[in-house]
Amino acid sequence: MREVVVTALQIATIVLAVLSVAGVVLMRDGLDRLHYTAPMALAGVCAGAAVCVQGGPSLIGTRAILLAAILLGTAPVLAHATARTIHERREREGGA
Amino acid sequence: MNSWLWMVAVLAALLVPLLGVAVRARLLEGVVAMEVGGTMSAIALLLLAEGTNRQPFADLALALAILSFAGSLAFLRFLERAR
Repeated sequence: MREVVVTALQIATIVLAVLSVAGVVLMRDGLDRLHYTAPMALAGVCAGAAVCVQGGPSLIGTRAILLAAILLGTAPVLAHATARTIHERREREGGA
Repeated sequence: MNSWLWMVAVLAALLVPLLGVAVRARLLEGVVAMEVGGTMSAIALLLLAEGTNRQPFADLALALAILSFAGSLAFLRFLERAR
């Protein structure tokens, strides 16, 4: 049962990473590309969960939980800051 | 080569198109690609730690996640001011 869960989480990690990269590469606009940064943070959570399920309570498992928490916490902040910078530069370029 | 290391290989391969975006797209769109690349590299290091059973790689993953976040914010701050 554990193997099935780990494999499912591994596949989810890869699928989310591919989706995120495809979005960043294929979208034309900066704000459109920005939407596809969120699946990568979710991929980090899936990877961390897979490591925790595989190894149980271990040093790497602790790091995996910490990494997932950091990615979940920082991704929205980074997306907001990037969107604000894009918006401000566009306004400045439009007004100039 | 176990499944964790195969995942690391896939994530490393996915860095190539992001590098292409960072090089060819406009400045702020390149920053978006850099942010995704930083997150993906941190995940790859964590998976490498699990795949090789070496805990220091997981510490590197944590350090990269934090530094990538701080570096991106600093870059954005600079771009806000730059004309």
